[in-house]
Amino acid sequence: MSSTLSKSLLNPRRHVGVHAERVSDVSSTEYPGHYPNEDHSWDLEKFKEDLQVKVQRLSQRSVEFDLVGVDASIANAFRRIMIAEVPTIAIEHVYVWNNTSVIHDEILAHRIGLVPLSADPSLLDFRTPTGFNATPNDRNTLVFRLQVTCERAPKGSGKEYINDEVKSGDLVWVPQGEQEEVFAGSPPGPTNKDIVLAKLRPGQEIDMELHAIKGVGKEHAKWSPVATASYRLHPLIVLNPAQPVPAHLADKFAACFSPGVVRVAPGGAVSVDLAGMRKDSVSREVLRHEEFRGCVELKRVRDWFIFNVESEGPYAPERLLPEAVKVMREKISSIRAAAQALLADADGDVPGEATSKDTDGDVEMGDS
Amino acid sequence: MAESTPKLRVLKGAEPDLSAATYQIHDESHTIGNSLRWMLMKNPKVEFCGYSVPHPSENHIHLRIQMYDNMSSLDALLEALDNLDKLCDTVENAYSQSLATDSYERWDERS
Amino acid sequence: MNSQNGAGNYNSAGGFAAPQRQDMEYLCADCGAKNEIKSREPIRCRECGHRIMYKKRTKRMVQFEAR
Repeated sequence: MSSTLSKSLLNPRRHVGVHAERVSDVSSTEYPGHYPNEDHSWDLEKFKEDLQVKVQRLSQRSVEFDLVGVDASIANAFRRIMIAEVPTIAIEHVYVWNNTSVIHDEILAHRIGLVPLSADPSLLDFRTPTGFNATPNDRNTLVFRLQVTCERAPKGSGKEYINDEVKSGDLVWVPQGEQEEVFAGSPPGPTNKDIVLAKLRPGQEIDMELHAIKGVGKEHAKWSPVATASYRLHPLIVLNPAQPVPAHLADKFAACFSPGVVRVAPGGAVSVDLAGMRKDSVSREVLRHEEFRGCVELKRVRDWFIFNVESEGPYAPERLLPEAVKVMREKISSIRAAAQALLADADGDVPGEATSKDTDGDVEMGDS
Repeated sequence: MAESTPKLRVLKGAEPDLSAATYQIHDESHTIGNSLRWMLMKNPKVEFCGYSVPHPSENHIHLRIQMYDNMSSLDALLEALDNLDKLCDTVENAYSQSLATDSYERWDERS
Repeated sequence: MNSQNGAGNYNSAGGFAAPQRQDMEYLCADCGAKNEIKSREPIRCRECGHRIMYKKRTKRMVQFEAR
C-alpha cells in the first residue's frame, strides 16, 4: 500500500467511529462554511491530487478495486448504475409452439428470461414506444430457437434417455438481416451453457421462439450485468500505545479479529498493518471483553471504498466501472441540455410565455 | 401519455429570479439526486441544497436549491453538472490508468 | 399477460363460423395411445383398458413475457 494513503489515514476527519452499540461521525462535514477559515468548495485540481483508484484483484468473473477520495454519494452512484442502469440483452418475448414437459409455459418463459446472454449490448438499439424501433427488427431484436424432444436412448448406449435435460446450451441463435455480419466477432449465446431449463421424459417436447431485447436492470433484474456490485469502507484498527495488550492475552486478542488481521510477535506483542486491517470484518468482538477496554479503537475510513464487482453477462468484470461512468455522463449531459434549454427560455426568448415581466431572469413555471 | 414529460422543469413557488427554486428532474433517482446534491453543496454560493424522491411510483426527483445574494440557482445547477462530469472523467482515467499499469493479483475463478 | 395470437388465422371463414369440427383425440394416461371419446361409450383405452385420458395441448402458438 502506498505511503501517501497511510499518512493521511491518521486524519480524524476521515474516520467513522465503530463502537460496541453505535457508530459515530458517519457523515462528511467537508462543505464550504462548515469549518471557520477553511475552504471546502469544489476544486478539480485538488480532487485529482487526492483521488486514488487502484485495482486490487482481477479474475475472469470478478474485480476488486479501491476508490479513495470520493464522497459516498459518488461511490454509491457508480454502484447503483452498475446494478440497475448498465444495459444488457435478455430474452423478453417467448412464443411457445409446443411444450409438453411438466414445467408450465409461464415458469419456463420466466426461467429462460433469466439466462445471461453474451451478446454485446452496444450492437443493439433499445426498443422505443414510437418510431423505427417500436417494432422488432434486426437492429433491436435477437432471435433464438429452442427445439428439444426427449427420446429413449438405444440399448447399450450407457444412458437411459436422449435430451432428458434442456439446457441453456440448447438455445440456437437465428441471425436476422445483417446480424450475421454485425455479430461476426462473437455470436450471441448464453454465457453459461449448463443451466438446466427443464427436464423431459420420452415423448415430451419443447418448441419455442425467443426474442431477446436490450434493457436495464431497473426495468427487470434479468437485464442487470452484475451478480453483485458492492462496496465496504476500509477498516482501521488503532492500537493504543499507552495501553498495550497484555502479552498473556495476545492470542485471545488476535482471535477477536478475522484470521490474519492481528500479528502476535514471539514475545507476545501484538501489531496490525494496513494489509491486515483490510481483511477484518469489523465484528466488534474485541469491544465485548473488559480486559481489552482502552487497548484498541475500531474505525472505518469514510472516503475509502473497497468495491467488489462480479460480472454476470456480456461485460468483462474490469469493464463494468467504465460502463457505469459512461452511463453517468450520459445522464449528466441529458440534464445539462435540459438546463441549458431552461436557461435560454429564461433569458426571454419566448414571447408571451414569461410569467412575470419585471426581471429578465424569470422562467415559465409549471404547475406543481 | 399525451405529451412527453420534460426532463427538467421549475416547480411553482420559485423566486422569479431563480435565487431559490425546486427543480423536477424526470427519469432520475437517488443516483443523480444525491450526487448533484453533494456537488451543489460544495458550491459556496449555495445556501441550501437538498433532494427528494416524492413518491416511489413517480419516476422523478425534486432538487431544491437556495442561493446566497440572489444569485441564479440555474447557473449553480449547470456548474454542478459540469463539475460532476469532470469528476467522472477523472475517476475513469484514474481507473484505466490503474488497470493498465498497476500490478495486481490475477486469479482463476471458475464458474 | 399472455395472449393467444393467430386465433383467427386458422379460420378463414372468420366471423361467427364455428371452427371445423374435428374428431377430438385424447392420449391414454397409462400407455400414451391415441383414443377417441364418444358420448354414451365408456372412457377406456382401446390398447390397454386404462380409464384415464389426457386432452392434447393446443396446437396454437401461445405468447408470454419472460418476466
